[in-house]
Amino acid sequence: MFVPTAIAQRIGPIVLCSIGIAGFASTLSTPAPAKPDFEHDVLPIFKAHCLPCHSTIQKQGGLTLDSGSAILSGRSVTVGKSAESLLMDRILGRRNLPRMPMGFAPLSDKDTQTVRNWIDSGCLLSSGKRAHWAYAKPIRPPLPALENAAWVRNPIDAFVLAKQRVQHLTPSPEADRTTLLRRVTLDLTGLPPTLQELDAFLADRSPNAFDKVVDRLLASPHFGERMALPWLDAARYADSNGFQQDGDTYQYVWRDWVIRALNDNMPFDRFTVEQLAGDLLPGANKATPEGRDKLIATAFVRNNMLNGEGGAIPEEQRNVALFDRVDTCSTTWLGLTMACARCHDHKYDPLTQRDYYSMLAFFNNVPESGVPSDTFGSYYIAQPWIYAGNKVAMAKLWSLEAQSAVAKEAAKADEASTATQDARAEWESDLVASPAKQKDVPGEILALIRIQSSKRTQDGRSKLAAYFLDHGLSGEPKAKRDRWRGLERELADLKTSLPKVMVMSDRQPRKTFVYSRGNYESHLAQVSPETPASLPHMPSRLPKNRLGLAEWIISPENPLTARVQVNRYWQQFFGRGLVKTPENFGVQSEPPVNQPLLDWLAVEFRESGWNVKRLVRLIVTSATYRQSSRVTRQLWTRDPENRFLARGPRFRLPAMLIRDEALAASGLINLKMGGRPVYPYQPKGIWDGLNITDERDFSYPESKGPDLYRRSIYTFWRRTVAPGDMFDAASRQVCTVRQSQTSTPLHALTTLNDVTWVEAGRALADHAIRESRPTPSARLSDAFRRVCSRFPSTSEQRVLERSLDRSFAAFRADPKAANEFLHQGQSPPDSHINPVEEAAYANVCLAILNLDEALTKE
Amino acid sequence: MNPFFERDLRISRRQFFGKSASGIGMLALGALLQEEGFASTGQLKQVGRHGAPALPGLPHFSPKAKRVVVLWQGGAPSQVDLFDYKPGLESRRLQELPESIRAGTRLSTMTSSQAHYPILPAIQPFKQYGQSGMWLSEMLPHIGSISDDICLVRSMHTDAVNHAPGVTFFLTGSQIPGRPSMGAWAAYGLGTMTDELPAFVVMTSSDEKKTCGQLFFDYYWGSGFLPSKYQGVQFRSDGDPVLYLTNPPGVSPELRRGVLNDIADLDRQRLADYGDPEIETRITQYELAFKMQTSVPELTDISKEPRSVLDMYGPYVEKKGSYAHNCLLARRLIERGVRFVQLMHSGWDQHGNLDTQLALQCRDTDQPSAALVMDLKQRGLLDDTVVLWCGEFGRTVFAQGDVTKRDAHGRDHFGACYSLWLAGGGFKGGHIHGETDDYCYKVVKDPVAVHDMQATILRQLGIDHERLTYRYQGRDFRLTDVEGKVVPDLIA
Repeated sequence: MFVPTAIAQRIGPIVLCSIGIAGFASTLSTPAPAKPDFEHDVLPIFKAHCLPCHSTIQKQGGLTLDSGSAILSGRSVTVGKSAESLLMDRILGRRNLPRMPMGFAPLSDKDTQTVRNWIDSGCLLSSGKRAHWAYAKPIRPPLPALENAAWVRNPIDAFVLAKQRVQHLTPSPEADRTTLLRRVTLDLTGLPPTLQELDAFLADRSPNAFDKVVDRLLASPHFGERMALPWLDAARYADSNGFQQDGDTYQYVWRDWVIRALNDNMPFDRFTVEQLAGDLLPGANKATPEGRDKLIATAFVRNNMLNGEGGAIPEEQRNVALFDRVDTCSTTWLGLTMACARCHDHKYDPLTQRDYYSMLAFFNNVPESGVPSDTFGSYYIAQPWIYAGNKVAMAKLWSLEAQSAVAKEAAKADEASTATQDARAEWESDLVASPAKQKDVPGEILALIRIQSSKRTQDGRSKLAAYFLDHGLSGEPKAKRDRWRGLERELADLKTSLPKVMVMSDRQPRKTFVYSRGNYESHLAQVSPETPASLPHMPSRLPKNRLGLAEWIISPENPLTARVQVNRYWQQFFGRGLVKTPENFGVQSEPPVNQPLLDWLAVEFRESGWNVKRLVRLIVTSATYRQSSRVTRQLWTRDPENRFLARGPRFRLPAMLIRDEALAASGLINLKMGGRPVYPYQPKGIWDGLNITDERDFSYPESKGPDLYRRSIYTFWRRTVAPGDMFDAASRQVCTVRQSQTSTPLHALTTLNDVTWVEAGRALADHAIRESRPTPSARLSDAFRRVCSRFPSTSEQRVLERSLDRSFAAFRADPKAANEFLHQGQSPPDSHINPVEEAAYANVCLAILNLDEALTKE
Repeated sequence: MNPFFERDLRISRRQFFGKSASGIGMLALGALLQEEGFASTGQLKQVGRHGAPALPGLPHFSPKAKRVVVLWQGGAPSQVDLFDYKPGLESRRLQELPESIRAGTRLSTMTSSQAHYPILPAIQPFKQYGQSGMWLSEMLPHIGSISDDICLVRSMHTDAVNHAPGVTFFLTGSQIPGRPSMGAWAAYGLGTMTDELPAFVVMTSSDEKKTCGQLFFDYYWGSGFLPSKYQGVQFRSDGDPVLYLTNPPGVSPELRRGVLNDIADLDRQRLADYGDPEIETRITQYELAFKMQTSVPELTDISKEPRSVLDMYGPYVEKKGSYAHNCLLARRLIERGVRFVQLMHSGWDQHGNLDTQLALQCRDTDQPSAALVMDLKQRGLLDDTVVLWCGEFGRTVFAQGDVTKRDAHGRDHFGACYSLWLAGGGFKGGHIHGETDDYCYKVVKDPVAVHDMQATILRQLGIDHERLTYRYQGRDFRLTDVEGKVVPDLIA
């Protein structure tokens, strides 16, 4: 028996209610294999549904399902006779036995059939060793041979079409040109196309018009900003440490590095090596811009949270940061969840606890304590860090340091000279002799002078010497000293103003141990830096340090890196990866919906020299990408998640881009790139929760003027309190590689009521009123097009005009309300426009910014 | 639960019931409706339709409670002074805590290298309360007055010795941020009971003088890897109670209503053209947003509460943002079908001001905490609402700082033993669970780990903590990680 009958009876009806689900899910599936083998076909099903309770670790009801031989030695299966097997009774809920798995959805029809076929066909254990697909190196598959494939534009389409044909699906027609331009512009720059860009594209009838657009967008500096967003989520990038005190950081220097690298089309292998181990590359140094960039890149590793709480145990916190680095690195590059192996060998994937700590060893040599070590006003940062200002400031830093060193030498030489010694003796005797000169001299110094010089303490001597140098010098020596001290002050001021980015260094080698159950105080065996044993070994030519790790990650032998990365790009453009779980490619993950396509892309990406722009171009110029996203009821029922890509992608934009779109469409946007984060509008008292002591001031320093309208990527990201209007965004506390896509009333409230959108609505209205023919229909149509890129239909136009009439009537009746509504945000309303009219249009424009279409990438 | 099934399940269930004619379907539907509406004897306000359904298969058992209120006492209240009665300590006042007792216990870096560990008995006397004769501090007369309704656990212990990891551990099951919080799990598993208010609401308060220095981070009510709609929604005392709730200045409700109709009209045209059901969802969410604009102000308006009720909560109840005010709002939220209410109060971190601050803390929190329990009880809502009063850990029996100066000593963080209490939701009233040694330093009987407490609370909600899981990164995560045992002795 699997479970006590009493419980089973209690939950019976609830389990039954899931029957409809299995039938539904099966509509998408390929048929169950006729002669399944245990290792390859059956075990994955058991792992997904049964092993949590029925494994060698947890033998509930005495049943073990994690090995074929264990099953055959028990009584749950009658070989060759599924109808008589207890296992099938429980999977199906036959003979009045509660259906398994208890309390969870039953097995799908296909999975049930696989298990049934396995029993009926004689319980084949293994048909030769077949590794989990993701652990075998991808091999470029041949292009599928297809007839009637005029639709195919590039190899992506061939793979997609082949898959669709198995599913009896056909591609959707190409999206209209307007939709296509909006889609690709949002995808590659995160901004909607301007009216000029729209007109130019619609007017360009050349066959390669779309390709030209793609080239233009790939060359846009905003490409890097768009592509950086998911990378910043993975890198848990934020502008503060998290935890109590939540000190600010200067990691934005790294954020700018990422944007630059993406715009420069830095090959992904170099992008990887520099971020993981730039400090260990030849030429890494603090002094030159190129050398410094290699250090700045490694801030990726240092983007972990930092706990500055009083009483925090530094070594504990340091280990928390190390765990975070292992998890971030393995999720970002390998699509592996190593965190389980922190406490024990991974239950499903071939990752041991030893593997985990061997990976940790790569990151364990940083000269850091685990807690913030240096404070600069509201900034709390931890060693090691470097100065990272712009070229001018850095040149000034080096020059000042050099000048200061020279000046110091000169001053010190003078100090030691006989002339100075004589002057000193004279100064002392003068002081003793002349009460008038004693007036401004501290008592402590006077007392020292009165002591015979041989009887002065060491401390007294240095105090006196220091005082003399500061106050007793004159002439040339004084000038030299003043110059040196002046330079020192200037240097200190400059240093205070310069950003200080936390970077990597291996200057403090430590021993690494396996921790018993993840407890850093409980050491087991010592380990050395190694990559997971079950994956291809690090070639012996590679050093056993982070640089070697990075090189191993991007080596052609690594089966995961390229797949994981192309899958994330795919997710970015299509909403879902070919593997649905970008964070996990392990045994527990769903197999890729189209593995030949994934593997082809992975090999293509790697063999192209990890050329990111080339891969992106390939994706967005495919016929697959260019399909219309219209969906019929029938198609939606067949494929609600669009796994087979028989239509174009359609999903809500990330909140950061929804804001950017409102700013861009309304003309408010300030496209300045890079630099210190900015503070756009936030609800009053957004950080008040942090203001709980007088340790520091947490009032929100709202920006003034143009900084309010910078792109969202530059918004200050406080780890403990994320910006209020960035719904569904990654928290930036831990590595996140899959965006959340939910829909709640709170999101609607944000885009309807946040001053950002209210002000954008008004600015949009101002443009429409000023820049189109003075008729309501022309103005509304203009505003609509700035947001949605297309002209409204006649019936949509009717709704917009009705809405305008209503708003007009309301504000005409209450001009004071109109005035209030117009004065939202720091930018002033247009004084040349009648306020009632402006408010009426602004209200409709706010509605346009809230249309599903406005919030969505079609 | 596999997250990718989740959507399929919800969709297909809707579809299934939508066209269901089969006997099985009707049976299941009946079971579900029964669950959703399951008879509560208490006085619930009907707010909106019933919200989102529970996950299939949930609840796992017949639930004793449907709702939870967490009264979080941030900073860590001193169990030595308030709950864990040790009359024997008086005779050892200021004697050195024996090394044999102290050995091997984790301390924070604030006292781990202290030269002396002088024993400091409770700063105020204890007395017996209620029919159960429960010993509690004289500083807690109101909690004392409900002692027959509370289940006091004196044998809690935790791994954490610093605030943020400690709070994160209790509320999310892991010391490291990033896991879903208890409220998010409850909302995810059990669904919502109203669609006009969030399923999971959070409110914060702090001691008047902000002596404590405890911050509340949003991951204390985060959704971790669960979809973000399950995260706690913070109700604020300043400005809009819910962010962006109020229309922009100059936009009247009527005008907004009209605009929303127009948006819906345009969205419907788009839906007809594009067919994506997500558009339908969007239309619904905008409609709900409009409803929230009415339901939330109604909820936060306490002007119609009778004086007798206000008086129960004490003199600060009408002060927005006070703990007392939040306690009253918690009751109003519970009445309106909110699943999980989490009050975050800070002020208990008495490292150096035990003699001056502890009594003030008690004054601010004692009466409102007790009032909430009594108020729920008098409305018949306590039976199926769990009230949990607790902090992240306890405090040391030995003094930190200079014991000769009244305002310069206190107690440091302490995880090896501490106390909390529960009321309602099927927990035993007038009951004390667990024991510590004579020095209030180690649990000697019936230890309760944080994961055990979580498992027990989930159990009362009808959830098997081992089976409410979410697959992320290839692992089935749960609130209780890989630990947790239900503590039957706490349950009536």
